[in-house]
Amino acid sequence: MMSSVTWKIGGEAGFGIMSSGTMLAKTFSRQGYKTLATNEYPSLIRGGHNVITVRIAVEEFYSLRKDVHILATLNKQTVDLHKDELNDDGILLFDPADFDWKPEHFSRHVVCIPIPLKEMVRVKSVDPVMRNTIVLGASVALLGGVFENLKTVIADQFQKKGEKVIAYNAELAWMGFDHIKKTAGDVRHFYLKNAEKREDQLILNASEALGLGAVRAGMKFSAIYPMTPINSVITFLADHAKELGIVYKQPEDEIAGMNMAIGAAYAGIRSMVATSGGGFALMVEALSLAGMQEIPVVIDLGMRVGPATGMPTWTESGELRFVIHAGHGEFPRIVLAPGSCEECFRLTIHAFHLAEKYQIPVFILTDKYLNESQWCVPKSMFTKPVSIDRGKVVKEEELTPGQMFKRYRLDVEDGVSPRSFPGMKGGIYFNNSYEHDEFGLVTEDPDMRKRMVDKRLRKFQAIQKDIMSPQVFGDDNADITFVTWGSTTGPVREAMTMLEHQGMHTRCIQYFWLYPFPSEETKSLLAKGGRIIDVEQNATAQLAGLIREYTGIDIQEKIVKYNGRPFFPEEIIERL
Amino acid sequence: MTTVRSSSFMTGKMPTWCPGCGDFGIWTSLKDALAGLGISGDDGVCVYGVGCHGNMYNWMKIYGFAGLHGRTLPVAQAIKLVNHELPVICISGDGDGLGEGGNHFIHAAKRNPDITVIIHDNQVYGLTTGQASPSAKKGFVTKSTPEGVTDAPINPLALALTAGATFVARGFSGDTQGLTELLKRAIQHKGFSLVDVLQPCVTFDKVHTYMWYRERVYYLDTSHDASDKVKAFEKAYEWGDKIPLGVFYEEDRPTAEELEPALKCGPLAKQPIDSSCFDALLEEFI
Repeated sequence: MMSSVTWKIGGEAGFGIMSSGTMLAKTFSRQGYKTLATNEYPSLIRGGHNVITVRIAVEEFYSLRKDVHILATLNKQTVDLHKDELNDDGILLFDPADFDWKPEHFSRHVVCIPIPLKEMVRVKSVDPVMRNTIVLGASVALLGGVFENLKTVIADQFQKKGEKVIAYNAELAWMGFDHIKKTAGDVRHFYLKNAEKREDQLILNASEALGLGAVRAGMKFSAIYPMTPINSVITFLADHAKELGIVYKQPEDEIAGMNMAIGAAYAGIRSMVATSGGGFALMVEALSLAGMQEIPVVIDLGMRVGPATGMPTWTESGELRFVIHAGHGEFPRIVLAPGSCEECFRLTIHAFHLAEKYQIPVFILTDKYLNESQWCVPKSMFTKPVSIDRGKVVKEEELTPGQMFKRYRLDVEDGVSPRSFPGMKGGIYFNNSYEHDEFGLVTEDPDMRKRMVDKRLRKFQAIQKDIMSPQVFGDDNADITFVTWGSTTGPVREAMTMLEHQGMHTRCIQYFWLYPFPSEETKSLLAKGGRIIDVEQNATAQLAGLIREYTGIDIQEKIVKYNGRPFFPEEIIERL
Repeated sequence: MTTVRSSSFMTGKMPTWCPGCGDFGIWTSLKDALAGLGISGDDGVCVYGVGCHGNMYNWMKIYGFAGLHGRTLPVAQAIKLVNHELPVICISGDGDGLGEGGNHFIHAAKRNPDITVIIHDNQVYGLTTGQASPSAKKGFVTKSTPEGVTDAPINPLALALTAGATFVARGFSGDTQGLTELLKRAIQHKGFSLVDVLQPCVTFDKVHTYMWYRERVYYLDTSHDASDKVKAFEKAYEWGDKIPLGVFYEEDRPTAEELEPALKCGPLAKQPIDSSCFDALLEEFI
């Protein structure tokens, strides 16, 4: 019996690879298991090679490991590409019509289990695209799972497609399940130990968590141009716009998107955009506008491999410096970077709060790995109470009809002046891109210019008290301290678990609040000495650079990865 | 309720436009049109681009969003989606709206938001001292085209018609009364309304003077069928000894806001934040 099993399915794009992963994860997460499903695919809709890897475990874990216990394949190419990843005693599921795999084809001991997939779909006269469902049934059998659980997941998955589709899929899944029971009944070495179900768990990606967070925070308007890896935010918001009473607008480009979000916030509601690096490059002009006009807006930047088109469907965390420095002129901003799916939900809510509290742009840095992996999160993480504070907004009764409103009042210690919204009687001001006076009227007066700059930059001081210290995991007295941010946190924590089993204690400092940089907190956290190792999913160790800039601490040891693939914990351990 | 007068829009600042600038006529007509329609500074929003036209907000007391060069339309559409009870007017220029903001212009027209776009069309970039604008006619000598413009000009009316605008008109800043009437109709039109306004740049254009325009412009009369798009195109391309003014095209089509389900219960800005269906959302992911 196993406490953790990793399953991988691969095949041609368009053959339901991704949904198989989600369905397998749900089949087990509903029973209380912890799961993680992470995908790899090229930027193609059909024809490319798609893979999804699902880890299922009894206890909580933070990332995949370099295991593949079961390799489920829908074509020969998948075996060719991934056969060396199989663990000893690993199981290969394959269609003998593709190639007759034998144990001697593998470097390790592999159990080859043929399933006549093409024959089965032919006999049932169904679309060959449904072969994945047979494999799914077979896989549940190999994991010692209960067929009924898979059947319920199938019913939910295909609910919109109708009873007939559900019935076909359930039947095919049963054929796979039954095939294993009949032909390979004694292959039980990857049966999972029982897990205890404590509460309902959600299976979702970080884009969906971000969408949930935005909605929970009262976001009412988003304008998002499609771009990998944030497309799930669009799907989520567009699908639910009607019931939630929110507007999702697809703009003609990211320039329009950012200007729309700014216009919407100006008009009185919470708004956001989401994009990746290239799209954000187009938004930079309007980011500066938000800085000058003091507009609250939330920007989700889902990082992927750059520069330029880079490798659009692969992961990287290379935009930290970009968002901190983006925009002409000097103005305050906040940069947050969740390290997990639940943190993405929580920080998104907080981002909207901070944006309106300080009337500034707030970034949420996510990445492809976070945004497109399916994470397993307890429901209680999403049900905590949320209080919504719109920040300094003037009430209509406080205004004097006929008079202009001092929107950019200078006599505010924190640099934040109350806003009026268009339509309020007596609230007229000019929301101005040009340097302006307290009413928003143009000014080029040197004194007024200086006072307005000082007002805007005073927010940096005010924000200091809201800066959130990095999270610290592990042993405070450890000799090794890992420093990391974003989705790399998962593999680092998983590596720490593995090291702990080897008797090696380590500590991890995870930055999720990155700017304004928590310098004092960093100085005290890094003061105690020992080895400090920076771990980042980019080539130039951008966080280490920030730490040096703000604290003078020059981290010598760096473990960076920038080939587009997320870290395996083993890779971190190997490079210690 | 107080009566809205043209003078209600004064901010106390005086215009900084060159004496005789065509922008004066557009400003006057806009104030008169708003006053005529009873729209006060509190009940509407003007979104300004960057160019000589864009300086107008300093002497125009109405909610004003002075944004970036070319970006009036995305801002205006969002304001309208958030608070569709407010009239929203874009004060834009030919370089601003057709050059830098050309893509926004096409897409705004196709969506048919209920906004009005006034293009200050003088064929030059005045604020940067007189380069050719996208609507500059062939052969026009400017600082950036010493041998004369070689490109074909953008025709704002024809472009708007192609893109799907539901109200397409042209005015002349030298006839403020006629322009006021056009602006009133444009603001009242339900949908995307374009008013391209011919205006002389008295400083950087010695060719297209008030006199030059006065000798050529005429108003379309009742014989023009404004519901006929093909006829509207024909008239849009009439340029030379005779230059038509007036409403070229008008069509009734549902607006972007009318088609937005979330706005059925009133403006977004006035709807409370409601999290009652959040739990049901979570269930979808289990």
